[in-house]
Amino acid sequence: MNWPILAVELALAALALIVLALDLVWSREQQERLGAVTTVGLLLILALWWHQRGASGTGFYGLAVLDRFAWYMKGLILGASLLVVTMTREFLRRLPGPRGELYLLLVLAATGMSLLTATADLTLLFVSLELLTFSLYVMTAYVRTDARSIEAGLKYLILGAVASASVLYGIAMLYSQTGHTRYDELTLHLMTHPPTPAVLLGMLLILSGLGFKIAMVPFHLWVPDVYEGAPTPVAAFLAVGSKTAGFAALLRLLLTTLQPLHAQWTWVLAALSGATMLYGNLAALPQKNIKRLLGYSSIGHVGYLLMGLSSASVLGTAGVLFYLLAYLLMTGAAFLVVVAVSQRIGSDRIEDYAGLSQRSPFLAAAMFVALMSLAGVPPLAGFFGKFLLILSAVQGQLFWLAAIGAVNVVISLYYYLLVIKQIYLRPAREDTELTVGLPYRFVLYACLAGILGVGIFQRPFLALATTAIQSWF
Amino acid sequence: MWTINKMFSIIGSHNFVIFFTTSGPHVEACFFYLFTTVMLVAAIGAVALRSPIYSLLSLLVSMFAVAALFVLLHAFFVAALQVLLYAGAILVLFLFVIMLLNLNQQELSRTRQHTLLVLGVGAGLVLLSVLVPILRLTAAAPAPDTPGTITAIGRLLFTQYLLPFEVTSLLLLAAIVGAVVLAKRRIDT
Repeated sequence: MNWPILAVELALAALALIVLALDLVWSREQQERLGAVTTVGLLLILALWWHQRGASGTGFYGLAVLDRFAWYMKGLILGASLLVVTMTREFLRRLPGPRGELYLLLVLAATGMSLLTATADLTLLFVSLELLTFSLYVMTAYVRTDARSIEAGLKYLILGAVASASVLYGIAMLYSQTGHTRYDELTLHLMTHPPTPAVLLGMLLILSGLGFKIAMVPFHLWVPDVYEGAPTPVAAFLAVGSKTAGFAALLRLLLTTLQPLHAQWTWVLAALSGATMLYGNLAALPQKNIKRLLGYSSIGHVGYLLMGLSSASVLGTAGVLFYLLAYLLMTGAAFLVVVAVSQRIGSDRIEDYAGLSQRSPFLAAAMFVALMSLAGVPPLAGFFGKFLLILSAVQGQLFWLAAIGAVNVVISLYYYLLVIKQIYLRPAREDTELTVGLPYRFVLYACLAGILGVGIFQRPFLALATTAIQSWF
Repeated sequence: MWTINKMFSIIGSHNFVIFFTTSGPHVEACFFYLFTTVMLVAAIGAVALRSPIYSLLSLLVSMFAVAALFVLLHAFFVAALQVLLYAGAILVLFLFVIMLLNLNQQELSRTRQHTLLVLGVGAGLVLLSVLVPILRLTAAAPAPDTPGTITAIGRLLFTQYLLPFEVTSLLLLAAIVGAVVLAKRRIDT
């Protein structure tokens, strides 16, 4: 059975059950501590994850694997969960009603994401994808007193169901042609048999379903509304966690199992990458709401990531892994600021960020660093990530794609600077000071240190990303 | 458990299954076309009929026809689940929702828009034009020899597919908690 390869997932599932039990047993006042319990649990699981570095193996009848890639991605997902728990604790202070369920669903979603990095079988892929999506449906609609939250949940549910159906249909197509669901058996079959049209159709259907998860154009339509309506920590989890898990599944599927078909999928991904970058960044320009802006910009970032994937090289794939780390840190920091500000001024409109630098120099500086890194300004983490991805496109002879990538850096810089203009140059409408609690401040400092650290000392992180995917090439 | 056993005693061991599956390719083909026709006509009825209750009953017929097709494929367990879950539980749920909503003619007519009809039919035709040539060109891989009985499926679920099976329990936990969170009437502070 080889249990240890799924130690992180088992620990996450156990944490979910502990949160559930405490939520049932504890009184209303005691439930305030559930956030702390979840944080401590996740920190312990992070220690377990660190203990597993370098470990590898397969288990559960070949359905799950632990390799350096899965280990790396699990680290990102645990990091994202920790950031989101911090935001959730801040967010729930102002929200009446039950709280325990949000932590429970968060941990369950993290379990699904973590499983998705380890899955080596199409059935397990589907089940873990559903675990993650189900939890996120409910989390999106969690604030039942807010019509926008319900609307966002409903939209996400309906479109997500279509995407799930598409994945399932694709799996059925692949199975009907090959008779296998396990990745290693599928690879063997696809290497020895020429692809039939039905195999290609199945591949496209799975790609479009996973494309919904990572918000790839043309499967991105849900993003702005859901990001705006969902509770902000949940929007952050969608942006960081869900995307990382989706990319983990996509990378393993495309670069190992569907590697024999790579002539067929690289050009599709290259075209969609260009479209995704252009759409995300251009549509972000007129946005007035910071969450919508971050939603559109997250679509743009998916475009960059797909650029690395479509080049299907060591450099491109390592670039994707490196960029996912940078993306976690910078988007995490931006959302931490958004949660802190919207808790205090009760608004997500960009014009209400006017004069933030006077009201809270710390939050303003944090937002500045996060947005500059998202735009790709050196020496921050986002710059080196974008550099690697564009370089991989050039190396793969995709010059037009590299050009689109470079143009988009400029476009994105413009709308990020619009936010910074509000924060630093506009006068504040109120001059009450915004204060942030110490633990929250600490997490935000950690993110900022990460953005600077990963940007300046890229070598160890790039080495980590390269060793994670080396065995595939 | 009793229902499942009973279902199996009806569809699993009775003479009509043996008749279906052992009386030569011609009879099997006859039944295949019969049930496919029933399934398609009923499915079209489910979309086209005006009253939601009639649509639902038409869908029910379609589900039963699909279950019969599963029996033809020797997938007895899936056939039983099809009847129990889809034709039984899910359609009854639909029925309750339709009755509780109690839509009148005016509200129903708002959902019938010609643009949507045209778009839907168009998208369906495009899908058909892709699927038909693809499925014509490709032969399916041979089905595994294992019969689709409860024993065979149970054995696979608790060995080869143990992990997805167990993850499903977490999935159900998320679904139950989610249903309670979203459906609870009173938000206590």
